[in-house]
Amino acid sequence: MKVIKCHDVTKEHKGIKALDELSFEIEENKITGLIGRNGAGKTTLLKILAGLWKETSGEVQVFSKRPFNNLMVSANSLFVDDGMTFSNSLTLQELLKEASTFYPNWDVELANRLFDYFQFEPKQIHERLSKGKKSTFNMIIGLSAKCALTIFDEPTTGMDAAVRKDFYRALLKDYLAHPRTIIISSHHLDEIEDVLEDVLLINEGKQLMHKSIDDLKEYAVGLTGQSAIVRQWIGGKEVLYSQELGMDQSYVVVKNNFDRNAAERLGISVSAVAPSDLCVYLTGSNKGGIDDVFNSRNVR
Amino acid sequence: MINTDGSKPIYIQISEWIETEILNGNFREDEKVYSQYKLADLFTINPATAAKGLNLLYEENILYNKRGLGKFVSPNAKAIIVDKRKNRKLKGLIHEVVQESERLEVTEEELVEMIQTAIKERKEAGK
Repeated sequence: MKVIKCHDVTKEHKGIKALDELSFEIEENKITGLIGRNGAGKTTLLKILAGLWKETSGEVQVFSKRPFNNLMVSANSLFVDDGMTFSNSLTLQELLKEASTFYPNWDVELANRLFDYFQFEPKQIHERLSKGKKSTFNMIIGLSAKCALTIFDEPTTGMDAAVRKDFYRALLKDYLAHPRTIIISSHHLDEIEDVLEDVLLINEGKQLMHKSIDDLKEYAVGLTGQSAIVRQWIGGKEVLYSQELGMDQSYVVVKNNFDRNAAERLGISVSAVAPSDLCVYLTGSNKGGIDDVFNSRNVR
Repeated sequence: MINTDGSKPIYIQISEWIETEILNGNFREDEKVYSQYKLADLFTINPATAAKGLNLLYEENILYNKRGLGKFVSPNAKAIIVDKRKNRKLKGLIHEVVQESERLEVTEEELVEMIQTAIKERKEAGK
């Protein structure tokens, strides 16, 4: 079953398109990573899916309903981000208790165990928590609610490396016990890729790719070798990224659709490209790299 | 055990891990191997990735399916794995040798001669 269907979804604000005719579908009980650069439209998309914002045009369906202002959708979905606001007149413990009355599938035991594990004080106030602690608390809400559609928008903001690792593990273990549809947007693809099944890559409001993580890993390869040989070998192929290494060596990234052995016979070494690097290459602007910003100044 | 730096797809590493466990006798023939969920939990990976690793071994007849019960080790699993690894390792080494001899401009005849000499030397040393 498809939990999410988007067809030509566009969101326009003051003449700027945050989403531009985005079409994709997400199946039930999959963990999907939503990946894109800053300003790619990730949060806009997630807020529309959660029914918090209204699309400008196109068709959005979540559980076969238009999510905006829909009670059924909002009862079955949860949007977790660092902008979640909670009442300041309630303590953390009281917030958990309140949340349990909101969500029919609320897992009291899991919430309490996570609360203890991450060393929260029952009497603390959410607003006074540090950035990382806020994110951790929000994550506890996100996991314990066990909503059929759970959306995490940059859930690890401010978390230290150890807590991030615990979060991914907790997410996976809870998902194994209670499979549900989960979408996570993150800048740390290298950290979350192992728990993902699919990746949706967007850039400037448009969809670039929607693939399984395994296919993404095999989508492109890196070639390293003598510049002249490499240049000859890639003739006619689409180059996703290239870099000069030292005196006479080049590293180029191309689609993985050729005979690997043939390249290796020419002395070109073929290596895997990490998905996080690939996403950076695919979403790279045509304005060159950061070096170019400085180069034009140095020339003078 | 599982290397997540992207050098090798995770599902292939999963299948290789199971192969090694079979060779070590930790999974015996006609015994059930770990489910995709158990593997997912063990290595903190998505269960779909784990399933892909299991399927790879099923396609190579190293595992077989029992409907509703999971995947089991084939009676000749060890032999298949040993054979596969031998082939792959040897072929890889030969490719490296060929590549290096190209770099050093060693001709085909010279290379074949060197291999024949090496075989002869080993035989003589064994006598």
